[in-house]
This record gives sequence, C-alpha cells and structure tokens, in this order.
Amino acid sequence: MALYFGNTSDSLVADALAGFARAHADLVAHDVEQGFVRALHTSPARRVGLVSGGGSGHEPLHTGFVGLGMLDAACPGRVFASPHNRQVFTASRAVAREDGVLHLVKNYTGDRINFGIAAERLVHEGIACSRVLIDDDLASESEEIAAGRRGTGATVLVEKVLGAAADTGLGLRDLTDLGTDLVSRCRSLAVASAAHTAPTTGLPAFELPFDRMEYGVGIHGERADHTVPRRPVRELVGEMAGALERSLGLGKGASVILLVNGLGSLTRLELYGVLEDAARVLDARGITTERVLVGDLVTALDMRGFSLSLMVSDAETVKLFDAPARTAAWPR
Amino acid sequence: MYVDGMFTDGWMRRFAASVSATETELTALDQAAGDGDFGTNLTAGLDATLRFLGDPPTGPSDPAAPLRAAATAFLDEVGGTSGPLFGLLFHELAVAAADAGAELTVSALAAGAGGGLSAIRRVGEAAPGDKTLVDALAPACGALRSCDRKGDPRVALARAALASWEGVRNTAGLRARRGRASYVGERASGVPDPGAVGIALLFSSSAESVTSLAPHLAEPTAVAR
Repeated sequence: MALYFGNTSDSLVADALAGFARAHADLVAHDVEQGFVRALHTSPARRVGLVSGGGSGHEPLHTGFVGLGMLDAACPGRVFASPHNRQVFTASRAVAREDGVLHLVKNYTGDRINFGIAAERLVHEGIACSRVLIDDDLASESEEIAAGRRGTGATVLVEKVLGAAADTGLGLRDLTDLGTDLVSRCRSLAVASAAHTAPTTGLPAFELPFDRMEYGVGIHGERADHTVPRRPVRELVGEMAGALERSLGLGKGASVILLVNGLGSLTRLELYGVLEDAARVLDARGITTERVLVGDLVTALDMRGFSLSLMVSDAETVKLFDAPARTAAWPR
Repeated sequence: MYVDGMFTDGWMRRFAASVSATETELTALDQAAGDGDFGTNLTAGLDATLRFLGDPPTGPSDPAAPLRAAATAFLDEVGGTSGPLFGLLFHELAVAAADAGAELTVSALAAGAGGGLSAIRRVGEAAPGDKTLVDALAPACGALRSCDRKGDPRVALARAALASWEGVRNTAGLRARRGRASYVGERASGVPDPGAVGIALLFSSSAESVTSLAPHLAEPTAVAR
C-alpha cells in the first residue's frame, strides 16, 4: 500500500487547484466557487476563447496549459471523472470572445456529454460555441468500440497549435476546421510496465508480472487489450512507431512533430532514452522529426509507462508550434 | 379549467413524489446495467427542484416557472450525465411554455418535448434503439405531435405517458449501444433502461397532477375561471 498524500479524496482536486492558482498567480485567476482557472494574460488579437478540461489525475493537463498562447480556461473534474457541465458553462461564459468559444474535448463519453450540455446552454445565451473532439489513441481503434478512439497524449499538441492559431485572429469556424484537421493528423500509443495507484485503496489498479507489459493502455489506467513480454526499448518503440506510421499513412519524406510523454512515474533518464530511440526509428524510415516535445504532460496518476504521439506537420504547423507560449507547464 | 402554473407546479411535485416512491427500483435497474447512481441523481435533482419551487406553490400565471426551476436544479445541481440530460428537457419545456404564455398548450408541450429530444440526442449522440432514455422520450414526443394542437393538454400528456411506457417495455429487449450499460452487453438483456423509466414517470406524473388539482377545482374562483 502506498496512499497518495492528501486530505480526503473529495478535497484533493479543490486543494490542488487552489495551490496551483497560488503558485502561478502571475498567470491564472482561480474561480473557487465553480472550480476552474482562467488565463490572466491573453493575446488581444484572439477572437475565440479556448476552453478545455476533463478528469483530474492527468496533470499538468489541462490547467498547466492555461495562459498566453494556449488555453483561456480549464475545468478539472474529480479524479478520472468529467467536469460538471456547470463548470464548463461558467468557464466558457467567462472567457468567451466576440466570436464565441471553442471546446477542446478528449473523446470520452462523460466529457462529450458534459461539454455538450454546456454548449447547449451557451447557445441558449447567444454565445456561439463549437467543439474539437480529440481522438488520437490508436489502441482504442476498433470496430467493436462504438465510442471511438480515446483522446490522450496528442491533446497537448492540439492545445498548443490551436492556441497559436487562435492568436492569429482566426474565427470560430476556421479554428474548428483547423482543430479537426490537426486531430486527424495525430495518433498516439501508450505502454506501461506497472499500473497507477488507485486513489481509494492505495493499491495498484492492476497487477502485472515483472517480465510482462501492457501494450495500448489508456490514461485512466485502463488495461490494454493485450499484455506482451517485456522487451528492449528500441524494439518496443520500433513497433509503436510502425503502428502510428501505418495508421497515419506516413511514407518516406513525411514530416512530424514527436511527443514522448511520461504517464506519471517514468524518470527523465528513461524518457530521453525513449526519445532517442524513437527519433532514430523515424530517421531510419525517412521521416523527418521537425520538432520534439518531451516530459510528463498528459499523465495517468503515477502509471509507470509512456506514450508516443505523432502529429503530421507542415511549415505552418511548425510555425504555430514554435510560437511563444507562457503557461505553467509548457516546456519550451 | 386552465392548464396553468398550478398545473406545472403540481406536475413537478408529483414527479418528485413518484421518483421518491420508485427510487429503490430505479437503483436496482441501474445496478443491473449501469453504475447504480441513477435513482440517487434523479432524487437529488428533484430535491433541488422542490427547494426552488418554494412554498407556497407557483401561482397560475406562470406555467413556465416550475419547469424553469427543474431545469436549473437538474443542470446546476446534479452530477453524472443522465441528470443534466433531464435538465435539457426541462429547459426546452420551460422555453416553450414561456412562449405559450399563461396557459400551457399541446403545441407548447410538443415543441418543448421535441426540442428536449433534439438537444438530448445532439449531446448524448444516442439514437432510438440504443437503449437509453431516448427510447421513452421519442415515442412520447410522437404522441404529443399527433394530438390535436388545440386539444386538451392533459389528454395529450396522458397519451405521451402511455407511449413512453410502451417505449420502456421495448428497451428490455434491446442491447445497449450507449452509456454505461453498453459495457455489460448481454448481461443487461431483459432489463428495461432506468433513464427511460424516469421519462415515463415524468409523463405519468403529469396525468396524475390533474387529480391533484381537484381541491382547486372545488374552489369557486377556480370554477369561475
């Protein structure tokens, strides 16, 4: 047993949000009653407010990406539970601009429904609202799963590029189209050698023998659909990159932005090692890695694993990716 | 007799009473297929609705007010997903009732329920046959649409109730494609969808609310109106 440090499971998210706001008081304002944070400094050129959110336990997502050049507001739900529609509604109303508000939603049923209800309420108030649904996780792509691919690591790439695009003054329609196009150019895959710790019991969410690993885990500690023998990183990353390339239809000469994302308890030592292997694999296949992002950005509490994400890029995407951003957790 | 604010006030109170009387069964249904919190969520929404309705009851002039109270209660006070979906339905009913003015009409009920169905389908992306509350709400909307637009709203609501219970019966034979029940597959076969039962209780309560108005009818002023 190794319980998390906190007061009660109910207060953990609220306490952390208050602490986050205190730590980054130069960047965000905290709405204590409704439970969201909003950016203090934003580009005056922006015409659409960008709002994201989802269950807690994925820190620094999404609050860490609120600020200049990225999100206008983020609404954390309880651990692994979607935010309440009221949180999303009030946050959206607070940051809506002349051309309305855009919701960046990871594809999970609860998030879709709660953001959807908030959108209905916004439209009733005369605030234009649109949605970009992020569904990058290759492991959940199956005829059997009607809900579709989950939204995982690529979320942070989409938030960054769309944030920079919003700062160029794009309208709601154009931003939605761009976001939808960006999502279609992203795929992710995640592996884990150990489960996260369940907050309520202090026990691993699932057991895994020493010589096995989960191939295709989700960010809520969902097990993969298969367990594979442990293998060297180069071999593992080769398989993962191959699957991502096939899904994106990448060939020689393609350009990508690569994200190597820790799921909560991997060391930097390991993450940079994974990065090097992944980049070499892509090089060997004639795919240009235009930019690399590395770190614990979209976590699954303390899961021992990592995800690889690719975003197919062109000069415009890279320019937006490179645009300066000032948030608590944007690492560049 | 007018179908006014006293009617909608009584309707919401009746709905609260019938959910309260059925909470155990609703929870059992949801435990068979979902996560077991549906009865609790519905009750939480209705407790908040009763707080917002206030005492004394809403007067006759504003039939939209009790529906608005329910909309706010379900949208703002209830967690989960099915609670706020009920909130969308109440919101659309309230908007349509406000458009209709001091007396509720069949047209307003049909427009409100239809608007609620559309909103719920947009948000939840469920179609009829997915074994959700849509399977009770869609037939209720159909019944309201097919009634005489200038006829008695209470008759229309009774027809909607019958149609929604028929919809509930049909959900027992369906395999869930949306919501939590979709993950248990065949294990939920034979079990009606609790959300659909909630919708049927809502429309049934409207019919019962007519009876609850009987004391008002005995008052000379009410009869004289």
